[in-house]
Amino acid sequence: MRTARFGRWALAVPMMVLALATIYPLVFTANVALKSQRDYVLDRFALTRSLQWGNLAEAWSNAGMARYFVNSLIVVGGAVALLLLLGSMAGFALSQLTFRGSRVLFLGCLAALLIPFQVIMVPLTRTMADAQVIDTYPGLILAYVAQFLPFTIYLMTSYYSGISKEIVDAARIDGNSPYGVYRRIMLPLGKAALLSVGVLDALFCWNDVLIALLMMPSSEHRTLMVGVTSLRGQYSNDIPTFAAGVLIAALPVLAVYVFFQRQIADGVTAGSTKG
Amino acid sequence: MLAKVRPAHAGRPFGAAGDGGTAGVPVARSLRERFTGRNAERLAPYVLIAPAVVVILLLRLWPLLLGVNFSFTGDGARNGQPVGLANYTELWNDPVFRTALRNVGLLILLLPVAVAVPGLLATFIFLKVPGHRFYRSVYFFPAVLSPVIVGAIFNLLLAFDGPLNAVLGAVGIDPVDWLGEPSIAIFSVVGVQIWATFGMGLVVFLSGFSTLDATLLDAARVDGASLRQVIWHVIIPGLSRTIQFVFVTTMIGLLTSMFGLLFIMTSGGPGGSTYLPEFYIWIQQGQMNRPALASAASTVLFLVMLLVGTAQIGLLRRAGRED
Repeated sequence: MRTARFGRWALAVPMMVLALATIYPLVFTANVALKSQRDYVLDRFALTRSLQWGNLAEAWSNAGMARYFVNSLIVVGGAVALLLLLGSMAGFALSQLTFRGSRVLFLGCLAALLIPFQVIMVPLTRTMADAQVIDTYPGLILAYVAQFLPFTIYLMTSYYSGISKEIVDAARIDGNSPYGVYRRIMLPLGKAALLSVGVLDALFCWNDVLIALLMMPSSEHRTLMVGVTSLRGQYSNDIPTFAAGVLIAALPVLAVYVFFQRQIADGVTAGSTKG
Repeated sequence: MLAKVRPAHAGRPFGAAGDGGTAGVPVARSLRERFTGRNAERLAPYVLIAPAVVVILLLRLWPLLLGVNFSFTGDGARNGQPVGLANYTELWNDPVFRTALRNVGLLILLLPVAVAVPGLLATFIFLKVPGHRFYRSVYFFPAVLSPVIVGAIFNLLLAFDGPLNAVLGAVGIDPVDWLGEPSIAIFSVVGVQIWATFGMGLVVFLSGFSTLDATLLDAARVDGASLRQVIWHVIIPGLSRTIQFVFVTTMIGLLTSMFGLLFIMTSGGPGGSTYLPEFYIWIQQGQMNRPALASAASTVLFLVMLLVGTAQIGLLRRAGRED
């Protein structure tokens, strides 16, 4: 247990190798994305000698990544806003309010959490088609909300049940209605949890490809991830531009990761230790 | 796994604060209140939760029933007609679906590896290998990337003339057709999935470690226990709940979040060797126009997940009791 200094370093070396193996694929892709086609064919490993920003421009405008990027932003923004609103309302009701059926509703929410999308994708696609929302922004937003709402509610309920009921009672004595308590107390107090679950929901939606493929089939409605898959066929002979497209799709995630790593980790570990 | 989060219990009515003052008030007023204040208050929880309930009922629970029901009807010319178990027998006789199920078996066999890797790494990090914060950040990053991005990157890395084969060539190993050789491709894809997701398990393990009783570890250290003994007798029993959580979430990940990888890396090929149920469902629904058959495959996938999930929890629980 009390590993001697030597033992520690014996562990540190393989871990360093693994860390390099984790980083290298990303560095390789970024490097390729900045190479000229000719440099790539001649030597794909060497550090790029010139910075071909043109690859990024090509992927961004000619390959349509700009359009896909905007589509993704619209859908992710809409879905996350709705998820946080519905999730915090339901979480507040389930954790702080007393009403008949709350237990059943909470269990139903957990049951929904355990249904994978693949299991319901056929009937869901039909229902969406019947409702004529296939290939529309609201349709995909709704599909994402349905997919990630149980998780959002679970997290918000668990967070809000840690808030003392006395705070709520005090606010009630001050003459707040339940809606007032939600707006003036629960939303401000829930900021940390809303941020954490919001970032996670945003990543889930941003990274998804299956739901987007089913709900937004037409090419002008592609989200960024669907766009990446289509780029592959389009630029199968121009790997640097393909890599540039991949880089464009990955950079926002990297930025979110750098700023919100803690919140993401808090979200994915919720439920793993307590309870 | 979700035991402590419970809805508020009865016996603490939300409106209790205002009740004392209305005790001696004439009936007329409380009648009026019933239509305005009090009743609106009693409805508030339902109003707050209604939108979520509608969405979950209509777009998650109801489709599950629809899908199961749908799997007993026909496709194409027999659309909507009951066909009994015909879809299920067709699935069973379809070699592609059988391959998909065999691959599920392979994933379940590899599950302990996918759990042990982050578990061991977390142990090392916990024992404060120099630079642990750095490792945590690096290992976790691929877990937040989309499978599509990961798959696209590995398409480049695993290409026949790509970097991995070049590295192997440098040490005198013949190039391998990582994604083109039927017996190898599935291992390549699963390997990429494990590369991409072990950081998730790692972070969960690390958060479990932070709840471990430090005095137990100290006692073991004073008694001169070896690393292996500490892992076996202190860490594993102390983290049984965390291990259970990682097992279940990793399994769900393997069985339901590899679509993006399959879609961009192999499209189920070569020769159908990398099919998984989720990819099969997508192909049957979207490309083959066999939604009822796809529904049957969905139902099978759901049953497999229920079965494996309950079996795992049961096993782990029994193992926990023996300790």
